[in-house]
Amino acid sequence: MKMGNRRIRVLAGLGFSLTFLAVVCIWGSLSTETARVTDFSRVNIPPCLRYPFGTDWLGRDMLARTLKGLSMSIWIGILSAAVSAAVALVLGITSATMGKAADSVISFLIDLIMGVPHILLLILISVALGKGLRGVIIGVSLTHWPSLARLIRAEVIQLRESPYIQIARRLGKGRWYIAGKHMLPHLIPQFIVGLVLLFPHAILHESSVTFLGFGLSTEQPAIGIVLSEAMKYLVTGKWWLALFPGLLLVFTVVMFYVMGESLRKLLDPNSVHQ
Amino acid sequence: MKRKAAAFLCAVIWVSGVFAGCGRGEVGTQETQQTQTADTQEGGDETDAQGAAAEETAVKDEVVVTMPPTSEPSSGFDPAYGWGAGEHVHEPLIQSTLTVTTQDLQIDTDLATEYSVSGDGLTWTVKIRDDVKFTDGEPLTAEDVAFTYNNCKEKSSVNDFTMMEEAVAVDDTTVEFHMTRPYSIWPYTMAIVGIVPEHAYAENYGMNPIGSGRYIMAQWDQGQQVIFEANPDYYGEEPKIKKVTVLFMEEDAALAAAMAGQVDVAHTAASYSDQEIDGYGLLSVQTVDNRGFNLPCTEPEEADGIVYGNAFTSDVNVRRAINIGIDRQEMIDNVLNGYGMAAYSVCDKMPWYNSGAEVEYDLEEAKRILDEAGWTEGSDGIREKDGVRAEFTLMFSTGDSVRQALAEDTANQLRELGIEVTTEGVGWDVAYDRAQSDPLVWGWGAHTPMELYNIYHTLSDTGIGLAEYSPYGNETVDAYMDAALEADSLEESYELWQQAQWDGTTGVTQDGDIPWIWLCNVDHLYFVRDGLQVAEQKIHPHGHGWSIVNNVDQWSWEG
Repeated sequence: MKMGNRRIRVLAGLGFSLTFLAVVCIWGSLSTETARVTDFSRVNIPPCLRYPFGTDWLGRDMLARTLKGLSMSIWIGILSAAVSAAVALVLGITSATMGKAADSVISFLIDLIMGVPHILLLILISVALGKGLRGVIIGVSLTHWPSLARLIRAEVIQLRESPYIQIARRLGKGRWYIAGKHMLPHLIPQFIVGLVLLFPHAILHESSVTFLGFGLSTEQPAIGIVLSEAMKYLVTGKWWLALFPGLLLVFTVVMFYVMGESLRKLLDPNSVHQ
Repeated sequence: MKRKAAAFLCAVIWVSGVFAGCGRGEVGTQETQQTQTADTQEGGDETDAQGAAAEETAVKDEVVVTMPPTSEPSSGFDPAYGWGAGEHVHEPLIQSTLTVTTQDLQIDTDLATEYSVSGDGLTWTVKIRDDVKFTDGEPLTAEDVAFTYNNCKEKSSVNDFTMMEEAVAVDDTTVEFHMTRPYSIWPYTMAIVGIVPEHAYAENYGMNPIGSGRYIMAQWDQGQQVIFEANPDYYGEEPKIKKVTVLFMEEDAALAAAMAGQVDVAHTAASYSDQEIDGYGLLSVQTVDNRGFNLPCTEPEEADGIVYGNAFTSDVNVRRAINIGIDRQEMIDNVLNGYGMAAYSVCDKMPWYNSGAEVEYDLEEAKRILDEAGWTEGSDGIREKDGVRAEFTLMFSTGDSVRQALAEDTANQLRELGIEVTTEGVGWDVAYDRAQSDPLVWGWGAHTPMELYNIYHTLSDTGIGLAEYSPYGNETVDAYMDAALEADSLEESYELWQQAQWDGTTGVTQDGDIPWIWLCNVDHLYFVRDGLQVAEQKIHPHGHGWSIVNNVDQWSWEG
């Protein structure tokens, strides 16, 4: 069962998850057209060699639809996770370095947003912005930063007391200089891992909000749409419409998780030499 | 390795938890709904059992019918707020109406004994029966009729009563309607307005309605069900079915309820029509519940922030080519599983329908028309003329799988003609405005010729002064419809409505302006429990709800 040392296994996990996600992304982007084609000569076909995921009631190839949907979700995930993480980083550092007033305002904001369930806030923002791609991306971005911001804030508060920061301050360096030069490099590992671990959240919330009908519109092959349409046909025994897209969604999310964990192990000074 | 496996497992459980969390809410409500249904059902069975014990030969006289949740009247069973007389017309059951529509959609009388109209068309005089009582024992008089109509005019937001000035009770059995303009099809309005009692009418009338109709509303659990019981004092033929329970649920829940044997009539959609359920048969009812799309007839212009018109579809040759370039039968076979009829107008098979609207599918002719009009194929197979590409966006209301499928099939078929169609799901909040410049899949169909007026007649004070839903205007068509409303008799008006559609030289059909393309009439499908005789249905109007129970009093159980 021992295949190489732990470091190699972690690297292999990272490589595998990256490859998987890249393949889904690229394949999905290539099947934009196939995912929309409707063909009434091939409706409701169960999984077979030609259509491994079957076809739906409009004769659309479910494999193409699932991959396109997932790749859209991944793009949305990357975009909104990046925005979220950037917001978290800026607010986290500001909160910890800019004094009491800034800290209490930002902490209040964090508590406020964490106090409302994600999905509710997300629906609210998405609907207010007229649903669609823009609504979902902005909605996910605006709701996912608080936990990471809180993490970074705590880290910075701890760092502030460490000797090398104290020395830099005594030497007369400005607050922004210290934050940029001495603190930021120290925060990079937490930031990257936090960023990666935001992806699965973002993807799941994107598909949930679309599933509930508050996200992307129905002619788009988003994974949430695919699943909510499948619900209507489950009762007639068309299991493949929900099973494969659902499994693949779970698998994608797990892959992101593996990626985040691997990165953490490689970047965290505690585990990097194990 | 163990830790990793555990982490992996955790992740899987967590993820499925999140999703199950989403799903659970819905399943949960459905479950409660179904258990509640089952409860009432069991309750019914108990009384049944007791009844059977008391009287061995009891005949079953109850039905349970499902309807879509949208059929539930949100403002209650009040005609002023659209009960019976709203977007989806049907007989109001609880109340009685002055007239009724017959099997072939001519007019017959119910409360009225006779009606007549003055020579100038501005006064309708209606005599009513004198032996009718409301279910609270009070007699129904002309006063109640006048009150009902004046109340509707004052309050109704869903129905147009602008043609009526006021209703006046002349004596106990005579009522006069004073009109603001001649309106020859007034009897069709009289067929859907249920008469309410003046003495028992208050703001919350819709919650506990009193009427003189075939049924009494016994119980209403909002969001779940309505129970009707037969009116023992009904002046007409005694209802054979004594108790009607209507359950509001989505099609998939209705199918599940039928599979579990909990309902007698379950509404269903074409995509479920191939399901076999033991003890149930499929009932297919012809309708004028049509689907079609509008083609804006003018060049684009902007007014008040809304774009009116479409550069491509403003060419009449394009519209004609599309009309004969669509294979309606293929569409019905594919999208509706064969349960539908090709549609050529908004009023197929109605007495005011002009069969001159029918066209044959002819792809070659359609291509010829486009070629001749100068729309030539570009390198990508899409036609072009003077820099305008042969393309448009076809919208459908998001979440409606039939309209989505019709839009997709239209796109597929028109691609063969060299026209590129992009489909897009939109919400009704934006659909009306956007339909002024882009085609939208609509559903229409009502038991009144007024629908032709609503779709094709220009309105000078709305938008840019053209027809309400899609830019179109033709003075000749307008004139025929105005004349039809001023006609002396219904028969005469039918002819004028037909001429508005096509009079030999102009109209809204293939050889005319063809501003709308009609695709199909969607059959209404129901799973009906074996042994239940559903009485013969009139052609159903738009709306898959109350129409089926229009004549529930005449249904019966075998054996």
